[in-house]
Amino acid sequence: MPQKKLSVRIDGELISAVEGQTILQAARANGKRIPTLCDLEGLTPVGACRLCIVEISGTDRLFPACTTPVQDGMSVTTVSPKLTQYRRVSLELLFVERNHVCSACVSNGHCELQAMATEMGISTVRFAYNYPKLAVDLSHPRYVLDQNRCILCTRCVRVCAELEGAHVWEVTSRGIHSRIVGDLNQKWGDAKGCTSCGKCVQACPTGALAEKGWAVEEMVKKNDNISSLVRRRGVQA
Amino acid sequence: MHEMAKELLDAGERAFIDQVIVSKDERPGALLGILEAVQEHHPHKYLPMETLEYIALKTQTPLSRVYSVATFYALFNLQPQGDNTICICRGTACHTRGSRNLLESLRLELGLTLEDESDGGGADKILQTTPDQKFTVRTVACFGQCALAPVVEVNHHICGHANERTLQREIQTIERGSE
Ligand code: FES
Ligand code: FES
Repeated sequence: MPQKKLSVRIDGELISAVEGQTILQAARANGKRIPTLCDLEGLTPVGACRLCIVEISGTDRLFPACTTPVQDGMSVTTVSPKLTQYRRVSLELLFVERNHVCSACVSNGHCELQAMATEMGISTVRFAYNYPKLAVDLSHPRYVLDQNRCILCTRCVRVCAELEGAHVWEVTSRGIHSRIVGDLNQKWGDAKGCTSCGKCVQACPTGALAEKGWAVEEMVKKNDNISSLVRRRGVQA
Repeated sequence: MHEMAKELLDAGERAFIDQVIVSKDERPGALLGILEAVQEHHPHKYLPMETLEYIALKTQTPLSRVYSVATFYALFNLQPQGDNTICICRGTACHTRGSRNLLESLRLELGLTLEDESDGGGADKILQTTPDQKFTVRTVACFGQCALAPVVEVNHHICGHANERTLQREIQTIERGSE
């Protein structure tokens, strides 16, 4: 059955979308970019990072483009001073929450969080840093989990559950205490379900999950591989 | 690991969990109810790791999912609870009515340490049990009884307008009752 065609305006430009698409998907299909962090093409969107917020005319609320479905006749704004301001605050709060020290990070220069901050022109953070004391899990023979660099985007959780089917990762606790956790809070090296496939590492936007053996600035993620794997398997969420 | 869970739980415990799982009929979202019933059944009102593992195995839920659910809800305990639970409200109304001092004096009274061991500086979220397993002290964000602030719950019984004296008396009553 052919899907219903919808017409939507994105930043004033009339585009056609398909029913069931999210705003983000429709925008991408038409070559429009919306800033994102937690979204990874092929995985179920969760709306965790709030960078993809957009304005929809007729309402004052801001909506995450990655989880909001398009509707016929919708008029969406993706760039505005208000949105920039909100996106910057979201980013600053991500920096405040953990210990992001780029100069000592394997992903320095290839980090989506860092790239996003550069794009938004963030050079200082206006809020007090949280400086949590967090562990680095080195127990896996090939990979490292550094909670200090985690932004809780849950891409690792989703790629492991949805694509690998192992479901090793989850988020434990809530609020400021939320952490990525493997199995029953086991060390990664002891996680029985882990197949060592490394998909979580490739999906991670920062240096929180990395391969061992790389020095500062050397860990380049291949998250395109994940999206193309999804496309080939036809399990698109 | 799964084999370990079977070894560590005795047959009665396993039978009980099996029965709870069956009674929940494999409905989606049944996990919450299962965890609750199993915790309630435990003499120390908590969910040991072996139990979580066994539930995961039996309900075919990923271990991480079970752990995530059990740590998301304040209702679930992963540590053994004392015979008596004293719960102090740290909500805004109770805070302005001095619940911090109340909490501190209670912890002193029961000989619990005052430094905060939990990570991330969450000094307002406390769950401590005395070494003799008699008392557990915990906090909540709001009981919804703000008009009675400060509110303390002693063994599921609400005491409004609590002060140090009333708390001391409650503890004495419990201690006398257990002698
Ligand atoms: S990409 Fe939409 S909320 Fe993160
Ligand atoms: S703040 Fe304590 S009951 Fe509401």
